[in-house]
Amino acid sequence: MKLFFTILICKLLRFFGGLIGKGSSLPGQIALKLCPDILSRISLPEYIIAVTGSNGKTSTVEMIAHILTTNGYSVAWNKEGSNQIEGVTTLILGASSLKGKVKADIVLIESDERFAQYTFKYITPTHYVITNLYRDQLTRNGHPEWVFEALSHSIYPATQLILNADDPLVSLFAENMEDVIWFGADELSTDVKQLRSVYNDGAYCPRCKKSMKYSTYHYNHIGHYYCTSCGYKRHDTDYTITSVDLEAGEAVINGKDKISLALKSLYNIYNILAAYTVASIVGIDGEKIAADMSNYVMKNGRVVTFDIGTNKGMLLTSKHENSISYDQSLSMAANDKNDCCVMIIVDAVSRKYFTSDVSWLWDIDFEKLDTPNVHKIILAGKYCNDLAVRFSYTDIPEERIAIFEDIDKAYDALSKENNEFIYVITCFSDKNKFLSLL
Amino acid sequence: MKILHLYYDIMNLYGDYANVSAMQRILEKSGEDCTVDRLSLGDNAVLSDYSFIFIGSGTERNRNVVMDDFHKYKVALKDYINSGKVLLMTGNSFEMLGSLITDAKGEKHEGLGIFNFTVTEQSKTRNTSDAIFKAEFSDKPLVGFVNKCSEIEGITDTIFEVVMGLGNNADDKHEGIRLNNFFGTHLTGPVLMKNPFFLEYMASLVLGDGKSVNTRHLGFEKSGYDVTLSELTKRLNS
Repeated sequence: MKLFFTILICKLLRFFGGLIGKGSSLPGQIALKLCPDILSRISLPEYIIAVTGSNGKTSTVEMIAHILTTNGYSVAWNKEGSNQIEGVTTLILGASSLKGKVKADIVLIESDERFAQYTFKYITPTHYVITNLYRDQLTRNGHPEWVFEALSHSIYPATQLILNADDPLVSLFAENMEDVIWFGADELSTDVKQLRSVYNDGAYCPRCKKSMKYSTYHYNHIGHYYCTSCGYKRHDTDYTITSVDLEAGEAVINGKDKISLALKSLYNIYNILAAYTVASIVGIDGEKIAADMSNYVMKNGRVVTFDIGTNKGMLLTSKHENSISYDQSLSMAANDKNDCCVMIIVDAVSRKYFTSDVSWLWDIDFEKLDTPNVHKIILAGKYCNDLAVRFSYTDIPEERIAIFEDIDKAYDALSKENNEFIYVITCFSDKNKFLSLL
Repeated sequence: MKILHLYYDIMNLYGDYANVSAMQRILEKSGEDCTVDRLSLGDNAVLSDYSFIFIGSGTERNRNVVMDDFHKYKVALKDYINSGKVLLMTGNSFEMLGSLITDAKGEKHEGLGIFNFTVTEQSKTRNTSDAIFKAEFSDKPLVGFVNKCSEIEGITDTIFEVVMGLGNNADDKHEGIRLNNFFGTHLTGPVLMKNPFFLEYMASLVLGDGKSVNTRHLGFEKSGYDVTLSELTKRLNS
C-alpha cells in the first residue's frame, strides 16, 4: 500500500507541478521522504542505461532517446535534466504503474557525477556510460580526481561500463571491472602532436603518477596516451570515430557509417559516438543509427541561431567554470573560414549557486582567437574586467577587443557590424540576457 | 631577476600559474629583467638563485607525489625563507611544510617539518567558499576562493582574519601561515591577479628597499577586484 500511495502522490505532484511549470525534482523529493527505498521496490525493464561525466551528458542522453524512440522503443528518460536522485525518482515513478512496474522498454538516466552513488544504490544501471572527467564547476566539485572518487562508489560489478578510451582518467574506471565497452577516436586529420591547452591534465598517469606521453591529441588531454612507467595506456576501442571532416561537416564511425553533422565540433561527434555505442548495444543497426543522427539538431536549446540586422549569428552555450567547454566553442569560431566577431559574456558565474570565482578564465585557451578571421572580440558582463585582464595575457592585439560591462551596450555594438557572422559564447546563467535583446 | 614556478605542471589546478604571470609582468613594468624557470618532479632547482618562488595547488594524490620529491629541498627552502626571500604557496601546497599529513584513508605522510602543524584530510565533503580575508599589511582585504578537504592544526603565525570563507580549521577564524616573506594560504588560483594590492605588496618585497613598484598597468585588475569585493560583500550582508 505504501508503494501505491507513494507512486500516486508522486504522479499527482508531477501533474500539478507540470501545470504551473514547476520543478521535476520536488515530487521525487517528497516520494523519497515517504518511502526512502522506493526506487528498489520498483520493477524495472531489461535496460537501465545511465550516462554521466563532466560534459555532454544531456546531449548524449537526448541523442540516445532520439535513436531509441525512432526505432520503436519506449523510453523513460529525464528530459528535464533533473539529474540528482530526486529528479530520477520523479522520472521512474512517473513512468511506473501504480503497482510499481515501469511501463517503458528502457529507462535512460542522466546522472550528476557526485550524486550517482546515492541514486544507483537503489537502482543499478545495466549499462553505464561515462563520457569524460574534466575540470568542471570546481567551486563545488573540487577537482576531477575528487569526482572520480565519488563516481567510483556508483559503479557495481554487474554493470556494463561504456567508457571513453581517449580520456585517461575515465579509463581508470575499468580497473577490476569485467565488462567494459570502449569508444573513442582513431588518429584524426584534426589531431595535433603537441598539447594545445593552457594546462595539462594528461601530464601524469592517473594510475601510477609517473609521466605520460601521447602519440596523438584529439583536443586538450584527450587522445592516445601511454604511461612511460606502468604500462597504462589508451585501450583499443569497440566503437570508433574513424575519420572526420569538420569543414564538410562529416564524421565516419567504424569505417562505414557516415554522419552529416548539424554542429561541426569534435565535441558533438563524441556525443554522437557515445549514443551510437549505446544504440548498437541495444541492437540497432549502425546504418540506421547514422541515418537517425545525420543532421540531427539538438532540442535542448544549447545552440541557438539568430539574426541581428544584416548579421547572422550562433549562440554556443558553453559552461562557465569549464575550460574545455569554452575551448571547444572558441575552436569553432577560430576554425571558421569566414570573418567573424566573437562575443563572450560572463555576468553570473552560475545560475544554480553563488560564486564570484573567475579562476577558471585562466584555464581557457583564449589564445585560440588570435586568428585573422576573428577580427573583433567583445567582452561583456559584470566580470568583463576579469576577462579583459585574461585577454591582456594573450597575444591578441588590444584594438580587436571591446569591453562592455552592460550587455545591452555590447549588443548595440554588435548591431553596428555589417554582414558579420557573430559567435556568442556564454553559459546557461547568462544566455537569456543576450537572447532577450533579440 | 629569476622567478621559479615549481611543480608547474602538476600543482596547477585552479589557474594558479597566473600568479607567476602577474609577478613577471609587474617586475618587468617596474624595470627589472625577469626570467621564469618552470621545473617539476625530478628536477633539481638551486633555490637561492631565485627572487620569487611559487607553488600552486594540486589534487590530494598529486600533492603527495610532489611531497615525496619536495623533501630534497628541505634545507635549501629553510635557508631561502630565513634569508627573507619571497615564497608564495597557494591551496594545499603549503600543507607540505608541516610535520604530518593524514590522508582520507588514514595513511600518514611525513611533511618537510619546517613548521609543526599537522593536516588531516577527509573524502566526504569538499569544503569550498568564496573568501574575503583581511590582512594587517593591507588596507583592503583579499578576495578569492578556498577549495579544500583538510583541517590544519597548530598554526600560530597566520596571515589573515577570515571575514568570509574558511579558516585553517573549523574553529579558527584565521587563515594561512607566514614566516618572514613566506606566505602560505588556502586561497586557490590566481590570487595575485585577483588582488592587485597584494601583488603590489609582494612585488615590493621581491624588489626590496628603495625600488618602486609600477602599478599603472593594473586598471582592469583594480576594477575587477572592486566588482568581486562588492559582489561578495553584498552576499555577506544578505
